[in-house]
Amino acid sequence: MPSASDHIVGTGVARTRDRGVVRIIKGVVLLAGAALLVSWPSLAANPYLVSAGVVVLNYAVFASSWNIMGGLTGYISLGHAAYFGLGAYGTALLIQNFDIPSFGAWFLAGLLTLVIAIPVGWAALRVRGASFVIVTIALVLVLALIFQSLRGITGGSDGLIVPRPFPDLLRPEHHATFYYIYAGLLAVVLAVWFVIARSRFGAGLKAIREDEDKAESLGIPTTRYKGIAHALSAYFVALGGGLYALWFGDLDPIMQFSVLLSAEVVLMALLGGVRFLLGPLVGAIIVGTALEYFVLNFGETQLHLVATGILLAVVVLFLPDGVLAGLSELVARFRPQATSIREMTAEELQNQRVSEVRPGSGVDADPTSSERSEQELAPVERSPS
Amino acid sequence: MTATVEPTSPAPATPSVLSTRGLTKSFGGVHAVRDVSVGFLEGKVNGLIGPNGSGKTTFFNMVTGMIKPDSGEVMQGERSITRWAPHRIARLGIGRSFQLCRVFPRLTVLENLLVAVRPTSLASALLGAHHAPTVARAREILARVGIEHLEHAEARDISYGQQKLLELGGVLMADPRIIMLDEPAGGVNPALIERIATLIRELNAEGRTFIVVEHNMDLVMNLCDHIVVFDRGRPIAAGVPAEIQSDPAVLEAYLGV
Ligand SMILES: Nc1ncnc2c1ncn2[C@@H]1O[C@H](COP(=O)(O)OP(=O)(O)OP(=O)(O)O)[C@@H](O)[C@H]1O
Ligand SMILES: [Mg+2]
Repeated sequence: MPSASDHIVGTGVARTRDRGVVRIIKGVVLLAGAALLVSWPSLAANPYLVSAGVVVLNYAVFASSWNIMGGLTGYISLGHAAYFGLGAYGTALLIQNFDIPSFGAWFLAGLLTLVIAIPVGWAALRVRGASFVIVTIALVLVLALIFQSLRGITGGSDGLIVPRPFPDLLRPEHHATFYYIYAGLLAVVLAVWFVIARSRFGAGLKAIREDEDKAESLGIPTTRYKGIAHALSAYFVALGGGLYALWFGDLDPIMQFSVLLSAEVVLMALLGGVRFLLGPLVGAIIVGTALEYFVLNFGETQLHLVATGILLAVVVLFLPDGVLAGLSELVARFRPQATSIREMTAEELQNQRVSEVRPGSGVDADPTSSERSEQELAPVERSPS
Repeated sequence: MTATVEPTSPAPATPSVLSTRGLTKSFGGVHAVRDVSVGFLEGKVNGLIGPNGSGKTTFFNMVTGMIKPDSGEVMQGERSITRWAPHRIARLGIGRSFQLCRVFPRLTVLENLLVAVRPTSLASALLGAHHAPTVARAREILARVGIEHLEHAEARDISYGQQKLLELGGVLMADPRIIMLDEPAGGVNPALIERIATLIRELNAEGRTFIVVEHNMDLVMNLCDHIVVFDRGRPIAAGVPAEIQSDPAVLEAYLGV
């Protein structure tokens, strides 16, 4: 699984060969997965399964776009449903009121959302941690209220019918067409994430994720970096929302500007693993399928809400790095003679300590000894707020 | 804000590469730094000492832009850099370390250095972080601070002393002219203190100015060309190590109540 922070320390021929085998297995799994994704519309037994595929890809685009900011900067936004809704409503309203062709409206709505996201990000990203999460939730709630109350324009809670872009297509072809459009958008989003994650800009974003003040002190313009990541992320979420409007054809403020939608997407990204390129996609497939299953078998109950909550808690507590990280750990465990980075370093560390200590006899070999504890009593430096 | 007319430290004779005028900061009722006007000498190892809580770290944070002062000025040469964002101050060539050593825990040792490279254009921002010349430079610096063998380890997995060396390496990656270190010897073993002292001397010989906060008096007296002493948020003495060691006000600040 390609990952930006996937570092394997190779030692010796055996391990190199081992890595080769793992790489081949990964390649096969990836190819098989890609083949399945691409041929899903023709494999699916009925149109419903194709439309379920569209739903999952919609989630995958949302979660992967969210991950441009969430995964790289560590800012967990529950507000991205706002951009999804803006993209969806923007597309619909531009078609309705200005007679712009469907995909022209879709493109414009993406740009408009980008323009809106820049000042919003500038304001929201001034706060960190829990405060940031609350600001983003507020954003969704405020927009939901606005779009509900502007009945004249948005239709309020009666909903808004979006003209279909391909009026001649029958249902099954309609789903299949949108399936491939979504797949194309997903490919673009993944490519963007991949390029950023490997770049200097991405290194700066990861530094922000790890320690923002430290990053700033090294000369990284953190405000600008966060702002760019946020705007890009919002832009692609909006494009996903716009596609949703064109595909589904019916919008409701409560469904689009929904904190629950945001939360489900964050769950997908966390479950799959935000440090991995394909983490959000894997999470979207798991959670998206589960959500569809729930709705199909139990109807629109609150059950999936409870399930989402429980799963989110489980992931945060037991799988903080997601299933992909869990998988690669599992692979490492079953590999013969595999040494983890930690073990290797611990060993080196030991040597290092011994050599450091040798000159002065009677020195405690543990660098976290008495001297350190005195250090920890010193006043903690706090960031300006 | 304290509008007192207390005497400030004597103005240094040589021009200061970095100086402050009336720098003041309080936290609630605590006057952490009060009306400090001091200057640091170019090309020298400047020491900044004082008892616990005397405002050294707060002073550092104001100079590097991490904390906005209540009043007063920070000057680089003749230019005021007061209230500049920290990254802009860093880009002037002023690097710093933190009292409680700060590295990026889940990045590798090598990546910890690579993040400190500033892109100059959109194209260079999108260039791979592991760009060969950059990696070569990073490896040189890792070798210089003596942790090149840990290149692939995550920073959270190396020892505290190694993290201190890594932090210094990260600061060096940006090639700063002025390096501010907040307790470089804090919490590390004597052998490592010696290594850090040697590094500081070498880097200083290359023409880099140092401002070092340190509690280890042997180290301070050995290393520093000029020392400023803080007590309760203001400078009480400044001079060469010999002067400082025999200054009655300094002795009182450290020993008296
Ligand atoms: N963020 C903050 N909030 C409140 N009080 C603070 C803050 N930072 C520092 N102080 C207080 O300001 C005073 C100066 O602290 P500072 O950390 O600058 O001292 P110092 O000289 O670096 O001490 P040490 O040698 O122990 O590191 C102390 O009384 C400290 O408790
Ligand atoms: Mg301090």
